[in-house]
Amino acid sequence: MSKATTRILTVDDSASMRALLNHALSTNGFDVCQADDGVSALEWLAVNEVDVVITDINMPRLDGFGLIEQVRGGTRHRDRPILVLTTESSDEKKARARAAGATGWIVKPFDTDKLVAAVRRVAH
Amino acid sequence: MNLEFAQNGMTRLTVLQGQFKVSAGPKVELSTVLGSCVATCLFDPTAELGGMNHFLLPEPPASHDRAAVDVHYGVYLMEMLINEMLSHGARKERLRAHLYGGANIRAGMQAIGTANAEFARGFLVRERIELVREDLGGSGARRVDFRPASGQVRCRNVAPAEAPDVKVQPVLRPSPRGEVELF
Repeated sequence: MSKATTRILTVDDSASMRALLNHALSTNGFDVCQADDGVSALEWLAVNEVDVVITDINMPRLDGFGLIEQVRGGTRHRDRPILVLTTESSDEKKARARAAGATGWIVKPFDTDKLVAAVRRVAH
Repeated sequence: MNLEFAQNGMTRLTVLQGQFKVSAGPKVELSTVLGSCVATCLFDPTAELGGMNHFLLPEPPASHDRAAVDVHYGVYLMEMLINEMLSHGARKERLRAHLYGGANIRAGMQAIGTANAEFARGFLVRERIELVREDLGGSGARRVDFRPASGQVRCRNVAPAEAPDVKVQPVLRPSPRGEVELF
């Protein structure tokens, strides 16, 4: 029996980046769902299942740090891998993401092959 | 390369092809010279913060080597400029944009300038960022001087020879961007 398609939630306030991510991930066989900020992501996660979350950091309403903290503090998805995809490169921000419970850190602009490999690795 | 000049108490930072810079410095001026490239000037009047990018081409073609990335593309440089602005305190809903460049300087060549201009306009529409001024198209080179803390922009025509050459197919180079670190 084949494993069900891996479902990914991407969270990014940039419509263009969402389009790039959707193309890169869906053409590699993933089921892609998208939210435009942390609040929208939490609303979606409240009623949906997900295998991997990929989130930007700088977003309105609720940023990536806040999203990670709330997912880790909840019960429904607290063990799901969360990859941060960001233009940020500071060690301080990376350490903050790690402390909040992020699973990995990917620097934009993303390389599709590396992104897909990372998703497959954390999704098991 | 980081070009910096000080004149009349102002520090002028040159934004080269494939670069972006953000500043709130009241004595800072961001400058660039454009042919078919497009520069986006973003300004948050409340945060008194601005930034400029300078891209060569709109988006990677379908044949783009997926193992390499190229930050000369507008889709990446727009994203990086916006995120840098937000990380310095700007708010996306307050951003105001100016677009410059996008000329088709050499007759007979592919209309790269037109493609760049159309991409930039479309990007701002998709991202719901207000375009308050544009000076795009034509066949002449432009020099843009942008004071990021005040949002003041001066755009003037310059001799085409002053505009940097654009490679139609920029060399794809391995980049440290896209690196993955699993915790």
